[in-house]
Formats: sequence, structure tokens, C-alpha cells
Amino acid sequence: MNMDRKRKWRDLVAVNALEEKWVTRVDFGTRKLAIYDTPTGIYASLALCSHGGADLCDGYFDGHLIECPLHQGAFDVRTGKPISAPASRPMKTYETRIKDGMVQIMA
Amino acid sequence: MAQAIVTPLTQALAEGKLTREELKSFMRRSDWPSLRRLAVWLALVAATTTIVTLAWNSWLIWPAMFVHGVVLVHHFSLQHECVHYAVFRTRWLNDVVGQICGLIIILPHRFFRYEHCDHHTYTQLNGEDPELIPMPKSIWEYLFYISAIPYWRAKFTELLRHASGRLSKVELSFIPTVEHETVYRDARAMLTVYVAIFAGMAIAGWWDLIWYWLIPLLLGEPVMRFVRMTEHVGRPTVSQLSENTRTNLVSKPWAFLCWNMNYHAEHHYVASVPFHALPELHEKLKDHIHVEEGGYFGAHRDILRQLFARKS
Repeated sequence: MNMDRKRKWRDLVAVNALEEKWVTRVDFGTRKLAIYDTPTGIYASLALCSHGGADLCDGYFDGHLIECPLHQGAFDVRTGKPISAPASRPMKTYETRIKDGMVQIMA
Repeated sequence: MAQAIVTPLTQALAEGKLTREELKSFMRRSDWPSLRRLAVWLALVAATTTIVTLAWNSWLIWPAMFVHGVVLVHHFSLQHECVHYAVFRTRWLNDVVGQICGLIIILPHRFFRYEHCDHHTYTQLNGEDPELIPMPKSIWEYLFYISAIPYWRAKFTELLRHASGRLSKVELSFIPTVEHETVYRDARAMLTVYVAIFAGMAIAGWWDLIWYWLIPLLLGEPVMRFVRMTEHVGRPTVSQLSENTRTNLVSKPWAFLCWNMNYHAEHHYVASVPFHALPELHEKLKDHIHVEEGGYFGAHRDILRQLFARKS
């Protein structure tokens, strides 16, 4: 990845392609992202659990909580903060916005 | 690019054994159905407690304590479900109920959670699965394990080790450094509660709790050891979930007691699925897992058959 690349809003996925009130897996370049449709808006994070590396997009999702399918460690998708063991490190989150029917992330 | 690790679930989805919509439906959680089930559970505990009371002044207290003990040790099954946060939608309810179950069966909840996570990562792999029960090499080893003597020895050693601020080499591998103090604190808190209970009994001169709790626990634990053996013992020590885990088809009363954990392979496939959805998940996965139609006794027949085949 080119670390010098300027950060800007980038299109990710159409809003109407998201799984309603659930988590959607989206490929973004070489990264796998998880996009969350929550009661307070759309949030995005890296899709792999910071504990064991499982795909969070196959996990249980409820409100603002995403739970890892492997060990049921959980994160708050708004901040990336771990809220249940064995997850102890935050997950990487992205700033998001909706523009012209597209979910965009700052990356 | 970082790749997700391959889990049984990702494989099941990729191979079409399970659709994403089915997965979402199975994972759905709710508080009220589980609270209702918990109320029935508490009524069962009250009923077996009453049986012990009614049998108090006769030899029948021993079978009564055994029956009560069989129910008490199955708090393990409820605690196990709470470890996976699958009983209640409200997350803290799983923690509270899990902690209470742990107090009843002398198993610190958070430590069990860490240990159990590793069991799911390294299921049935020699030297890596911290909950692996080895295949007995003789009938004496088999009976000794079922006696629960080695279990209690290991658990009390573990509890005292943690209370004294130490972890074994294996435990250090699955408990993150930031959580070491939590494990020590939990063990000390648990021992403090037990000391307070015994002090209270001594002050009140009322020792009945030993007959309602500790003796039944000791009498019932061999049944739990018998049940726990059926999950993996005698299955190949390989990473393939279709091989290393056994689902046991048991009667409805026993499925109730073990919170459907007899559907063990399904549980390992998707640990986020609550106990009440496991029978439905079984219908989806039954052709891809090892199913023991003969239930727990069938599983033990299989274990004993293998044991005697090795010796001959």
C-alpha cells in the first residue's frame, strides 16, 4: 500500500446494497471491510477480528455491537472499542458518510 | 493482504451447507424465551432440593442427593452457553448468570471463558486444546476419569494457583497479560465467597448446605464427566470438525438438562447460535458431521469398543 496516498472520501458500496440492520462485507483494494447498518447510521471497520483473525462479517450483529463468530469477543462498531473478552485490542474503524447513494469512507 | 482464518463456519458458508440468511436467522437472540427457560430450570432445582428435604431422615437422602447433584452439575451447560453470550440478548445477563453458575459448580467464569476460547480454536488437537480429555488407555483410566477425582484435583489446584497469583505455562498461552490480574482476582473472590459461606454456617450452626450443595455436587460430577467424554473422546485428534466432534442424539429430558449441548458438532460449527436454535441447525448440518444415534450411551459404547480394540 502507498502510505503517501492522500486521505480523501472514497466510494465503497451503494447504500441499497447493504444488508439491512446487519453487517456487510466489502472488498476495498486489498482490504476487507465490514460495513454496519446501525440505528444511528453507517459505520465501517476492518473485517478481521483483532484477536483471532476471524471474519467479523459472519458474526452476530446487534445495534452497535459486532461479535466475532469464533470466540464471541465483541466490539462497539462506533469506536472499535473491545467490549468483551477475549478481544482486548480495538479494531480499526473508518470515518464514513453517505453521498449520492454511496457509502464513502475516509481512507 | 490479511486473510480471515478459515473457521468451520466460513467453510460451511463457502460450501453452501448453510446460507447467510439461515445463519442470521439461527443466530437471533432474545431475552424472554431464555428467561422463561431459566424459570423452568430454577423450578427444577427447587423440585430436586425439595426431594432432598423430604428424604432427609432416611437412607433415601443418598439417591435424592444424587438426583439433585445431576441437576446441579448441569449448571455447567448453562454456564457454557453464557460463556458464548448466546443465552440472553442482553449481554450482561450472560455474565451475571454465568458467574452464578460458576459459583455453584466451582468454576470461575472469566477463566473458563478464556480456556474455552482456546478449546474452540484448537479443538481436539493434542498439546493445544486445553480442554482435551485424552482417550483412556485402560478401563481403569476410563473409570478413574468418570469418578471425577482427576477433575476435582485439577480444578482445586487451578483455583488455588490463580488465587496465589500464578498461571501455568498453558494458561499463559491463552490469557492475555492484561487479564492476568482479573483471573487472580476472580479466584480470590470465589474463595472469599466460599469462606464466608462456611463462616456463616459455623456461626449459625446450620450445616445443611453441605447436604444441599457440596455432597450432591460430588455425587453428580461423575455424570457430567460421563457427558463431557461423549463430545470428543474417541474421535480423531485432527482439526477437521466433521471428524473430531460427536453430536449425540439424546432424550428430551437430557437435552433440557444440558441446554441442547448434545448438538455439540453444530455448536462448534457456529458457536454464536443459541441453544434453542441448535436442533434446527442440526437439520441443516447433520449430513456433514459425526452423529451418534445412540446418544451418550452409544458414544460410550464407541469409546469402550475402541479401548478394548486397542488392547486386543
